[in-house]
Amino acid sequence: MFGAEYLFNILILAGILTPISLVIALVFKTEQIKQLQTAVDKLKKSLEEMDEQAKLIVRTDMELNKTQEELDKKVAGLYALQRLSRAISTTLEESQIFKAIEAAYIEELGFEKACVFLWNEKENKFVSHLNIGYSQDEIGKIKTFVGLDKDVFLDLIKSGKTISSIVVIPGSELGDKIKNVFTVNAFVISPILPKEGSKGFFFVGTENMDIAITEGDEELITILSNQIGQALENARLFEKTWRAQQELEKKVEERTRELTYALEEVKKVSKRKTDFISSVSHELRTPLTSIKGYAAILLEEKLGHLPPEAKERLGRINRHSDELVHMVNGLLDIARIEAGKTVMKAEEQDLKNIIDTVYDLILIQCKNKNIDLVLEVAKNIPLVLADRSQIERIFINLLGNAIKFTPQNGRITLKANRKDDMAQIDIQDTGIGIPPDALSSIFEEFYRVDNPINQEVKGTGLGLSLVKHIIEAHKGKIWVESKFGKGSTFSFTIPLS
Amino acid sequence: MNIGIGLSTEKNPILAAKEATGTASINIYKEKIDLAIVFSSVDFSCPALLRTVSLYLQEGVPIIGCSGAAVISNQGIFTHGLVVMLLNFPEGVYFNTACVKDIKTKMPLNAGRELGEKLLYAFQDAPRVLSLIFLDGLMQEGSNFIYGLQERLGKSFPLVGASASDNMRFFRTYQYFNQELLTDSAIGILWGGKLNFGLGIKHGWKPLGKPRTVTKSYGNIVYEIDNEPAAKIYEEYLARDMSELQKELKRISILYPVGIYLTGEDEYLLRNIISIESNGALHFQGNVNQGSTIRLMIGTKESCLAATGEALAEAKKGLSGSNIDLGKRKGFALVFDSVSRYNLLRRNAAKELEIIKAGLDTDTPIIGLYTYGEQAPLKAVSYQGQAYFHNQTITILTIGT
Repeated sequence: MFGAEYLFNILILAGILTPISLVIALVFKTEQIKQLQTAVDKLKKSLEEMDEQAKLIVRTDMELNKTQEELDKKVAGLYALQRLSRAISTTLEESQIFKAIEAAYIEELGFEKACVFLWNEKENKFVSHLNIGYSQDEIGKIKTFVGLDKDVFLDLIKSGKTISSIVVIPGSELGDKIKNVFTVNAFVISPILPKEGSKGFFFVGTENMDIAITEGDEELITILSNQIGQALENARLFEKTWRAQQELEKKVEERTRELTYALEEVKKVSKRKTDFISSVSHELRTPLTSIKGYAAILLEEKLGHLPPEAKERLGRINRHSDELVHMVNGLLDIARIEAGKTVMKAEEQDLKNIIDTVYDLILIQCKNKNIDLVLEVAKNIPLVLADRSQIERIFINLLGNAIKFTPQNGRITLKANRKDDMAQIDIQDTGIGIPPDALSSIFEEFYRVDNPINQEVKGTGLGLSLVKHIIEAHKGKIWVESKFGKGSTFSFTIPLS
Repeated sequence: MNIGIGLSTEKNPILAAKEATGTASINIYKEKIDLAIVFSSVDFSCPALLRTVSLYLQEGVPIIGCSGAAVISNQGIFTHGLVVMLLNFPEGVYFNTACVKDIKTKMPLNAGRELGEKLLYAFQDAPRVLSLIFLDGLMQEGSNFIYGLQERLGKSFPLVGASASDNMRFFRTYQYFNQELLTDSAIGILWGGKLNFGLGIKHGWKPLGKPRTVTKSYGNIVYEIDNEPAAKIYEEYLARDMSELQKELKRISILYPVGIYLTGEDEYLLRNIISIESNGALHFQGNVNQGSTIRLMIGTKESCLAATGEALAEAKKGLSGSNIDLGKRKGFALVFDSVSRYNLLRRNAAKELEIIKAGLDTDTPIIGLYTYGEQAPLKAVSYQGQAYFHNQTITILTIGT
């Protein structure tokens, strides 16, 4: 009985406690679920936040990649451009410029197809100068297209603007047409505008669907087209200059040939003249000797007395014969020197000694005219290489002239000095001088300055010419300086031994 | 194994074939050639190329290969180039080559099965080691082709492949089979016997943002992600509207592919977008199963290059047990590099090759190409070595005997 009551009580207690504990557990669980839910919500939120962050990362990465890609492309393009520019700028032949544009460079620029067309004014059409990446059939089709639509390309050249697959060409389907004919998905066409000669355009394109043309590509191709234009201009200018030079060289050659021929002719004439003078002089000398001989015999009255009139006339014959003989001898000497028949003996001579001898010879003539003859011979002059008799002739001739043209009480100065490996002799007088217009002709044969003394005193006009010939045969030089009315200075050089 | 490789960058395909095959013939020092592998840029793809290569080979020597946006060889990466590898296998190594044409008409799944059957033909019960395939890179349902092929070869059978590419026009890719220049086709080779190989496949992209679920998809088309139009994920993350997305699709696809989470794998399986439909559906290069967990992926040049190093380490590890000295021309390396990586790395693209060359024994023959997709097995146990269609990876396959 007791047991049953006890059990009943327990059951009642349990009946009371169970709901209580269940409520407690429920409250506790609910709290836990709440906490878990909060944690899950938090996690979800973090995941969403992370996803948002991921979106930010992807977007940034996308932009970064795009920039990097463009940068890479630009760097590669610039590098290719630099190498290509170097290749085309080092050539000066028009056809070589296009050969320098190799497929590898075009590929580095991001394209695999390229061509160049230049406008041929004469044929009134575009001519292809470069073909990269096209078969003969394909380039044939392109040529036909360019020929049919030449106005489009001529307008492009005229506008000077670069077009590409990203530039919409207003009012035309040109972009698609070009893509179709040139079999590309992206392209750039830039005009080639050299200042000289025919202009044209440069085309590059790619079939690659993945490559989009950027403004950077347009810029690169424009730069390259300009470089090609510049190279063409240089090549054409060079060609022009080269041609002009060739023509000039040809002309110079022709002129030289003409002059050589003329010189040969002059030499021939001169030789003929020398030969003529030489033979005539010889022919003249024999009868002259007879004339002079007979005149002398007659004058000496060995053949009988002569009336004074006849004697006077014979005296003139004798005198004129002497002059003639002198002239003929002079001519003969010149002719011999010119013909190289007179051998100048190259012997060591003391100039001072020669001058002293000549001084003695000439002094009397000076005294007759009361001319002061001054010698200024430097002491250190080495020996000269010369033919003594010929050198004496030079001195006598030049000093004789000086005496002849120096008035009474004048002065003649003879100076001798060393000038490098030559001895220079100056004969200075205070004579009547030489008119400026006569200076250049004074050493010519038979030239005589028109002055009162020459009109009065006879001369052959051969003296200075002979002197010049002798000096030049010694490898020396002669020249004259003169002030008309004040005097002249004849200078010449003789080589030292 | 005797190996000879030749490279040419000649413009004319015939001259290039002469030069590359001529050089390879000289390098191999062997009269008997068993197999020729040919990779070229798409501008070389013409029947004359294969005819010229075959002139250097004895009658019946199989030629396999395909076109690529660029070819890879020890000498470098060439956007206009041709590489030819001639191989002479020792006794105990055997193989069979086959091709399947008109994939579009046959449907990829059936075409995959057909290639599998052709490859197995004549193998019968002989032990098989590895299969290598070259697919048309513009095939819409590459994953289905793989399924079909695996149905025949076995789900866990090692399968490595490359999707042929063109010069980024996505216009036409070529597959080379003997003297046939093919498109819309797939070429395969099945090796058996004493052949060893190592495989490394990595991409280097990292997940970003919260995981999402593919709520509606069919094959390679994803209609909805988290019950919203699939394209919204890109609109949200990149803050670009549909027209902007369309315009920048290539760049977006390369930089931010979708990554499919694979249990047990350390890397996500990447998928490039091919196109966006106006209703917001995304077309991917490989299949994306409904219910998959996906993430938006982000890659950098550095992570990309680091992945190259990791892929190489794995490829070497696979071969290390066999004591094969690649440097003594006992083996070679095949590199299938995604064009996406080429586009991302650009001027640094050559660095990948430098990493590979530095990591391999000197003089190890290396050939490869840039691809529109790569096929290779997943490592995680749960996938039992089943091959998948990959995007954006560098796949390095080392083969030795």
